[in-house]
Amino acid sequence: MTALAVVHRLFNWKVRGIRWIEIIGVALVGVMIFSVYIAKADAARQSASIADKERQIRANGQRVRLLRAEVARLEQPARLEALSREAGLGPVDVHRMVTEQGLPAIAPPPEPRVVVAPPPAEPSPEAASAPAPGSAEDPVR
Amino acid sequence: MSAHDPHHPSWNRPTPGVGGLRRLASSWRWLGEGLWWIEHAFGRARTEARPEEDTRVRILLIRWVFAAVFVCLALGAARAALMGPAPRTGVSAHPNAMSRADIIDRNGALLATNIIHYGLYIDPAQVWDPDAVVAQIKAAVPRARVSRLRTAVSGDRRVLALARLTPAERKAVHDLALGGLTFEPEDVRVYPLGESARHIIGSVEEGGEAGRSGVEKAFDGQIRAAGADGQPFQTSIDLRIQGVLEYELAAAAEKTEAKGAVGIITDVQTGEVLGMASWPASNSRNLATNATYEMGSVFKTFTVAAAIDTGRADMHTMIDASSALQIGRRRITDYHATNRVLSLEEVYLHSSNIGTSRLATEMGPDVMQDYFRRFGLLEAAPFEIASERPQLPRDWSNSTLASLSFGYGVSITPLQMAAAMGAMTNGGRYIPLTLHKGGVPNTPVRQVISQETSLTLLDLMRRNVANGSGRFADAPGLRVGGKTGSANKSVNGRYSTAHAVGTFAAVFPADGPANARRYQILILMDEPQTYPRTGGYVAAPAVGRIADRIAPFVDVQRRADVWRSATGERLPTFDDVEGDGR
Repeated sequence: MTALAVVHRLFNWKVRGIRWIEIIGVALVGVMIFSVYIAKADAARQSASIADKERQIRANGQRVRLLRAEVARLEQPARLEALSREAGLGPVDVHRMVTEQGLPAIAPPPEPRVVVAPPPAEPSPEAASAPAPGSAEDPVR
Repeated sequence: MSAHDPHHPSWNRPTPGVGGLRRLASSWRWLGEGLWWIEHAFGRARTEARPEEDTRVRILLIRWVFAAVFVCLALGAARAALMGPAPRTGVSAHPNAMSRADIIDRNGALLATNIIHYGLYIDPAQVWDPDAVVAQIKAAVPRARVSRLRTAVSGDRRVLALARLTPAERKAVHDLALGGLTFEPEDVRVYPLGESARHIIGSVEEGGEAGRSGVEKAFDGQIRAAGADGQPFQTSIDLRIQGVLEYELAAAAEKTEAKGAVGIITDVQTGEVLGMASWPASNSRNLATNATYEMGSVFKTFTVAAAIDTGRADMHTMIDASSALQIGRRRITDYHATNRVLSLEEVYLHSSNIGTSRLATEMGPDVMQDYFRRFGLLEAAPFEIASERPQLPRDWSNSTLASLSFGYGVSITPLQMAAAMGAMTNGGRYIPLTLHKGGVPNTPVRQVISQETSLTLLDLMRRNVANGSGRFADAPGLRVGGKTGSANKSVNGRYSTAHAVGTFAAVFPADGPANARRYQILILMDEPQTYPRTGGYVAAPAVGRIADRIAPFVDVQRRADVWRSATGERLPTFDDVEGDGR
């Protein structure tokens, strides 16, 4: 019963003769209309953006197809063969072919070079006291 | 009217119309009574001196109805917004959708595509100097017809003056900055390879919508469906192999001064066609599918296969070829008479007509017909592109059987021969040829000869290239096997020695198990003019060169076998048997 009274009071709470509940309702409706507008405007913008992207994709697709056709024309075997023959090229003779396993037979891998390191010289007292090359004290620098 | 007014007699009883509801099912009665109750609520309220109560009831009722409607709408809207399908945006279903898909080869190389071209429209009302416009357009696009341009600029309405401008041509015309010229896009089917592979790819109808020939026609529905999804349509063709085939076929045809030539390369284990060429390419007729030939001695392969498969012969069988074979009044001789008893291998390698005729007549018409049918020689080859039917013999007499045994009396398409040679060399399974990459799944495959027979024939074919008439087809280390075929053509009902057909049906590598990867090459030269005109000379060299060049594409490694080293040198044990090229 008390709760009902509170609700009644809330509904009858007026300011300058207008119920608050009505003001709140109108404000909520306003907020809703505005948010719907924002959402729709955003959706329209996104839709336009998607349509634009799709148009770009189509245009690029056209361009890619055109270029691919041009590549196919330029790279067609008949043309390459004619150009190769003109340049004096031809199929490789079987005696000039070798598999990966056959490589060592025609070009043996180079013998590993044995580099004998020079015996380390006894450091003289002068050398020990001389500054290391490239150091800050190096006079050449 | 007041509460003291007399009680209207009709307030407490249903109207005649409502009373009619009583005749309906009882479930409808409450509805009629409810309507009645509402309709007369005012009267009842006045009677009971509580008119304000009735008004409240009505308002309450209306409020509930409105509330219910709006709650339903709100729930529906919320459901549509939260759980409905995502809205489709954009104009078309797929940004790359096309009316017809690109056709590509097995490695993705482009064979056919759609490209936007432009129609040039001229509005004469906006043209100031017609002569200058015509001259400038002609200079920009030399293929333009002056008469048509003149008609367009001097007409009275906007018309199409020039169709199918390429983007480059459009730019050239656009850069002229002439008034009254507009462009409208049009989708045009383009074949960037020109005449290469044109017999396979085919073409489309004038409007560009429906396929007219080749792959375009055979796979019309699939090409459209793939185009709608923005996907390409892939074929079994390997453009590299096709290129080699076309080049070598044209080279051989020009060298031998042939009237026409055909080449087919297939994968014998899957039935895929990797290359198919018909020379000259300018001829719109595809000789591979639409021409039939008597192919001569290649057919000896089928005769020998039938004899081995039925158990009538094996590699040790001896056949008398010491004298001509007399069938009725017909006398069958050998091109290179040996005049001795030959082993089966010698019959094959010497290409003995007497030997195969003896085998055929011994087997009889039923067996020969059965094996010819098994190899698909008696009906059009099952293939996506429609092909010609073979020309069959009128009877199956002994004389006919003898002719059939060495490739006369029956004319077949090169396509049939390629399919039959595939079955001969893949373990004996007849697989219909196809342009589908990877072969057709679940295609009916029939066993036409046993695996052992197939292996024996592979061995014989290899021996024929290593030591027999097919030696020019050998490619170093690729173990090529094959059979030559040479036939005179029938001109005005008589066989003319001036008109010949030279064929070579090959397979490589011929060694290995029955199910090893293996490729079939068929080369046919129609009416070669150079001598000798036998298949071993006009067709076999092209086969060798083709095998040599395509081996890396199909990943066949060069290897030695019992006859040749990996680089093609003859191994010392074996000697040449015959070098007649037949």
